[in-house]
Amino acid sequence: MKRYGEHRFPGKLFVVEGIDGSGKSTQLMLLHQWLQAEGYGVVFSEWNSSPLVRETTKRGKKKQTLTPSTFSLIHATDFADRMEHNILPLLKAGAVVLCDRYIYTAFGRDVVRGMDPQWVRELYSFAVKPTAAFYFRVPLDVAMKRILEGRSGVKFYEAGLDLGLSEDPEESFGIFQGRILDEYEKMVPEYDLTTVDATRPIEEQQTYMRQIVKAKLAQAKRLRVAP
Amino acid sequence: MRETYAAPLPGMNLAELPGKLIVIEGTDGVGRSTQIRLLRPWLEQQGRAVLDTAIKRSELAGKGIQQAKEGHTLGRITLSLFYATDFADRLEHEIVPALRAGFVVLTDRYIYSLMARAIVRGADPRWIRNAYGFALKPDATFYLRTGVDDLIPRVVFSRGFDYWESGMDIHPSEDMYDSFRKYQTELLAEFERLAKEYNFEIIDATPDVRTVFEHLRAGVARVLSGEPREPLFSVPTPPAEEPLEAAAKRVLEMPSPTRLAASTVEEAPLADQPLARAVDGDATK
Repeated sequence: MKRYGEHRFPGKLFVVEGIDGSGKSTQLMLLHQWLQAEGYGVVFSEWNSSPLVRETTKRGKKKQTLTPSTFSLIHATDFADRMEHNILPLLKAGAVVLCDRYIYTAFGRDVVRGMDPQWVRELYSFAVKPTAAFYFRVPLDVAMKRILEGRSGVKFYEAGLDLGLSEDPEESFGIFQGRILDEYEKMVPEYDLTTVDATRPIEEQQTYMRQIVKAKLAQAKRLRVAP
Repeated sequence: MRETYAAPLPGMNLAELPGKLIVIEGTDGVGRSTQIRLLRPWLEQQGRAVLDTAIKRSELAGKGIQQAKEGHTLGRITLSLFYATDFADRLEHEIVPALRAGFVVLTDRYIYSLMARAIVRGADPRWIRNAYGFALKPDATFYLRTGVDDLIPRVVFSRGFDYWESGMDIHPSEDMYDSFRKYQTELLAEFERLAKEYNFEIIDATPDVRTVFEHLRAGVARVLSGEPREPLFSVPTPPAEEPLEAAAKRVLEMPSPTRLAASTVEEAPLADQPLARAVDGDATK
């Protein structure tokens, strides 16, 4: 079992991180299109999307029986399935893999839910270290405004309502996201995250991202994509 | 005050858990569930409330694991983490509430089987120990010990070789017999290491059901009365691997399944025990 940092593959792994409303998914989508146009074999993998555990996660969320431990472990199971069946083999094959959220999301959320920081980090030690991890830094009020304007409401676990921070979903969401923001800030030096100022115009952020990705792909062999 | 191996789970109050947590460990087919079916009525007759629990029985993840295993597409790390999810759910929603209410919790396997399986499948021992660091230390762990040569006839004449119990995911090119033998030998060696590390109480699982039960019952009675542990049963280390032909010959000479079942149950009634219920349980499985 190889550990974080020990992997050497021909493929490249780029991940985006940040709180809800930081604009990371938009930026990753734009990066994805550009890389495809440049002729790279690109694959996208999203947090909490493995079909293997979907039913289990759904059951726990619906019945609200997930605790901090099971919330953490079920997401780790989901991640492991994508890592073993998707991300690892693709990196070995030389693909460019893009992940919307990565292990740092778990380090933030699970620790805010009270899990031991070292325990969570060790749990995910099988993960591949990304070629670059972009952290979209945004003030809490800006992110909150983006989220709450665009949606009819926030979901139970998304708002951290399981933590009993506040009866009011919006208030709970704010406190929860604020604490996650603090955890991200700690991870910037710990994991050498590449910080992107998410209050800047979208095009400007994208230009910055592409510069960094381009430099990292300079020596990478382009995987021929079937037409 | 109860202890955990590493950091406890958030919100878990380890004080006032007056129940007893008793673990029955052992490899596939060694007779753990048969023994639990005998222990339960015996304890209940003494007026003790019992919760019995086993792997994959969690409300949250039990079904999901079953479905995932049917497809045989589970990665090794994924499988370990899925089991850890099941365990955490049972710990928080079954085991701890029962201990708080003063129950005797009998658990058919605990973190040790899950650790042994993961390690045999190549997981980093450090990693899997960390994953289960939040587990409660049990009051006692009884390890039903057997050698692979005693295991094979049991499995052949009960349910037959199972894909996962034979480690076919690790040795896919072998037939089930060879794979079972190889996998269980590795698993048993790992159990021996865990037995030392976690101070298991070893019970020889090779005699008939009644004899094993008598030993187990004495051990459980001692734990419940709070007496200190003593070296009750010193079991010699199983002999080195039996040659293949000898094992095969022994399998062929085994009595038929029906006679085997009859001899273990009918000829060995425990005069003072409510065995009938346990036998019913056996028959309905």
